[in-house]
Amino acid sequence: MSGFREFLGSLEAAGELKHVKKPVDPRHLSALAAQAKEATFFESIAGYPEWRVAAALVSTRKRLALAMGCSERDIAPRFEQGIRSPIDARLVKDGPCQEVVWEGDRADLTSIPIPLMHVKDGGPYISATLVVSKDPEYGRNVGSYRMMYRRPRETGIDLVSPSDMRLYYQRALDEKRPLPIAVAIGVHPYEMLAASYKAPIDVDEFAIAGGLHGSPVELVKCRTVDLEVPADAELVLEGELSPIGWTTDEGPFGEFSHITGDVKWNPVFRVTCITHRRDPIFYMLQMPWENDWLAAPVIEAAGLQALRVASVQPVAIRAPIGGCCYWTLIASIKKRPGEGKNALLAMLSVAEVKLAIVTDDDINIYDPDELDWAMTFRVQADHDVLVIPGARGKHIDPSVKAWALGKGGLPTTAKLGIDATIPEGVPKSQYERIRYFAKDDVRLEDYL
Amino acid sequence: MSPLAVRMVDELRATPRYFAEVVEAHPDVAWRDFLKAWGEVRAAGVLGREDDGRYHIAS
Repeated sequence: MSGFREFLGSLEAAGELKHVKKPVDPRHLSALAAQAKEATFFESIAGYPEWRVAAALVSTRKRLALAMGCSERDIAPRFEQGIRSPIDARLVKDGPCQEVVWEGDRADLTSIPIPLMHVKDGGPYISATLVVSKDPEYGRNVGSYRMMYRRPRETGIDLVSPSDMRLYYQRALDEKRPLPIAVAIGVHPYEMLAASYKAPIDVDEFAIAGGLHGSPVELVKCRTVDLEVPADAELVLEGELSPIGWTTDEGPFGEFSHITGDVKWNPVFRVTCITHRRDPIFYMLQMPWENDWLAAPVIEAAGLQALRVASVQPVAIRAPIGGCCYWTLIASIKKRPGEGKNALLAMLSVAEVKLAIVTDDDINIYDPDELDWAMTFRVQADHDVLVIPGARGKHIDPSVKAWALGKGGLPTTAKLGIDATIPEGVPKSQYERIRYFAKDDVRLEDYL
Repeated sequence: MSPLAVRMVDELRATPRYFAEVVEAHPDVAWRDFLKAWGEVRAAGVLGREDDGRYHIAS
């Protein structure tokens, strides 16, 4: 099984990892990582001699594809393959993530270089979390939730959005008991992808990660909570969510929508134990890019599935970074009459997708100019644009004006679909592209 | 509270600040020492929040 360090090695081999050798203060990690085209590896952290920091590892589609061992166009089918072929995790006796163990008062979050990332963040954040929890009835859950430093043994955790772990926490809260959790940091992107996938509640996300790896994820038992974490993680925080409900301030944080969020009211995480490798690497997930790209295969795979359920044959699909790999889906299809509209209805049914564009399969949807061309010459706005009002929206989209809804109000949004396939009744020959005479017979180099 | 934590409380009592502004007011403090002091301020239970995310002293 390929782990976090093997992935760093792959980035290195591909020329996609920039080494920063001079000491860097944790206050400056994010700003420096944002200036690099490559992923960044900080070899020296001021005040933290035993730590190194890796950042922005999958902040481009290219690096995500590298992590997934496929081409940039194949991240969705590759992810589907993992979902279809889960492999159960395997428990092992020990692992490098427990080479160093700090329990009780010695478990001190200030010993970790937790960075301050954005101008309006409510505190330093741990952004690359793999949070493991368990429910007596539903079993294990793995998700990713940001954590804000509060005190040496306490963080905030964003548990506002609906999720399986939110349900687990609510059930524990109803019984006035804490919810034990374990937080693994510095794991392979496959584990992060599986965590961001909204799997059915009875599906173990580690099995999906195993399906992506093609081999079982190896887990070790935690020291102070009855949970398991990836044995090769760089760092593990063990502890519990206190049964206090959504009562403490958390945020703002630089959200995956590329916008500063609001102060939220959330539970707190109390740390009982910290374990890590002897030479640990802290993984700083660079917002918003890595969060967005880790969502892309999930949303694209959901789009493919929705198209197939609608009996439409997809050729390619893309969740562009401009839509945060979440709100926009673009697909090309092998179209039969009427299927441009069917495709839009299917794509707009995916999660919070609010803009869908569909083209024929002769359009390269990865080329923005080709997409513009199709939308210019294959679209009549009075026939080919769908607007669906009153669909479910998301608070962090400012255009839904969530602030006007009052506490607990749920926003709605209008959804937009653009059918940029060749309209019915227009012959394909009308779109014959210009071709240069003798293009294959002459070579410019021969005339230089 | 440590002298640094006391200074933070005084600054926040004078005017609400974003966390980053608290950080900027103490550029020469080692990050770990800063985090410990911030933890002391948290533990004192005196922090409140403005709607825009700035911290203030609530009591």
